[in-house]
Amino acid sequence: MAIPISQMWTVAAYVLKQKLKGRRRYPLVLMLEPLFRCNLACAGCGKIQYPVHILKQNMPPEECFRAVDECGAPIVSIPGGEPLLHPQIHEIVDGLIARKKYIYLCTNALLLKEKLHLFRPSKYLTFSVHLDGQKEHHDFSVCREGGYEIAVEAIREAVRRGFRVTTNTTLFDGADPKSVRAFFDEMMDLGVEGMMLSPGYAYEKAPNQELWLQRERTKKLFRLILSNRKKRWVFNLSPLFMEFLMGLRELSCTPWGMPTYNLFGWQRPCYVQQDGYAESFRELLEETEWERYGPESGNPKCANCMMHSGFEATAVNHTFSGWRGFLDTIRATFSLYPDAQAAEDLERMQPAPHPWELVQIGAGPREKTS
Amino acid sequence: MTGTVQRHASQGVVWRADNEADLREGIEAAFDYRGDVTLLLKDGTRVEGYLFDRRPRPSLEESLVRLIPAGRTEKLVFRYADIAGIEFSGRDMAAGRRWQDWVRRYAEKKAAGETGIRLDPERLD
Ligand code: SF4
Repeated sequence: MAIPISQMWTVAAYVLKQKLKGRRRYPLVLMLEPLFRCNLACAGCGKIQYPVHILKQNMPPEECFRAVDECGAPIVSIPGGEPLLHPQIHEIVDGLIARKKYIYLCTNALLLKEKLHLFRPSKYLTFSVHLDGQKEHHDFSVCREGGYEIAVEAIREAVRRGFRVTTNTTLFDGADPKSVRAFFDEMMDLGVEGMMLSPGYAYEKAPNQELWLQRERTKKLFRLILSNRKKRWVFNLSPLFMEFLMGLRELSCTPWGMPTYNLFGWQRPCYVQQDGYAESFRELLEETEWERYGPESGNPKCANCMMHSGFEATAVNHTFSGWRGFLDTIRATFSLYPDAQAAEDLERMQPAPHPWELVQIGAGPREKTS
Repeated sequence: MTGTVQRHASQGVVWRADNEADLREGIEAAFDYRGDVTLLLKDGTRVEGYLFDRRPRPSLEESLVRLIPAGRTEKLVFRYADIAGIEFSGRDMAAGRRWQDWVRRYAEKKAAGETGIRLDPERLD
């Protein structure tokens, strides 16, 4: 199943309306973080390192609705923390459905099966399940053995009950492209609607500071993964953003395209980088010094970033910026990106069990830490 | 310590501002710190909480920090001009959790035949 026409239409109509109104900066997806608490402690995550009294807080539904109304984006993504730990998450989701927002509830799915009864299938609600690759890779990445099986079982059950389900995969340096491609097959076999992908971000506070993808290596990795695509693979990403990941197109960052609201307020400038908080969405838009961010700014924290939260909105904006963007998108939607060199490079690669000893792309041998 | 630039402070450090530059650096360090800090105000008051925002402006009177005290949800605001120092009083929740430690522990447990190997999140009770 692909993204419903109604969702595509809603997004297209919204973007065109913003353009007709002459808005230079507008949000596409609100990242709403109603809590920071999580039931995993992934070494690659920089989102959960807070004092216990902060981790215990849950954002009240009314505050979530205020932020959603204030922002006006047609899509609301609910990451965290783990949103299913929020005792009123179903009330938050119901309130957003009533507002006709398309919701991506991001979850590691450890609790999904037991919490499914709290939700009703709706075209507005998608469970976006965090899976970082095939079983061994995912479990290693989330620092918990058995996590993959629980998540897959929950996906099966959610699909069986008629929910929209996508996967959300973060790739680190040393990811095994062959395994990632096999993972795509597994996910399509499970019946997910589409797959999201993003390179990881070098969170300052993440325990893992060594395996972040540098830009050139990111492009090489994604070229290997996304060239010679299988027709059956369905991605829930802008096709132009995927070209950006493969190094086929340059995009600048649009941090206001996916703004973040959490327990501290409106996060400046983006989902991954914290440079303070605004009290209103208007203040975020008007008083953030946007020229200080993005790879072109020279800000070292942005230098290697290719996160979907910064660049996907740029890709969507390009689609609606004229005939050129529209035609680029149509062509990219149907291309399978044949690439003989990528196929050959992929063929030569040896599989390896874990990132710290995986194939290194475009670099010399690295020290093994095991 | 006194008046030294301490961008990545660790738990237990008590920092006092000798001059404006030190004060500004100390507040950046507190903003960067992923644990509670205690603001030592010039009137002798101590306020402990998580410092989640700072708004530097040209004058110390206009510059603000924002903090959530432990056990409360309200956001308190203080002027830079009223701060005499900062104690890095709470545990830094980002410290001491290195990826390499996880890799080593994982490999050791795996070699010992253990299954169900995992890192658990912070206990909240
Ligand atoms: S480049 Fe990345 S880190 Fe920098 S503002 Fe954009 S999304 Fe944020």
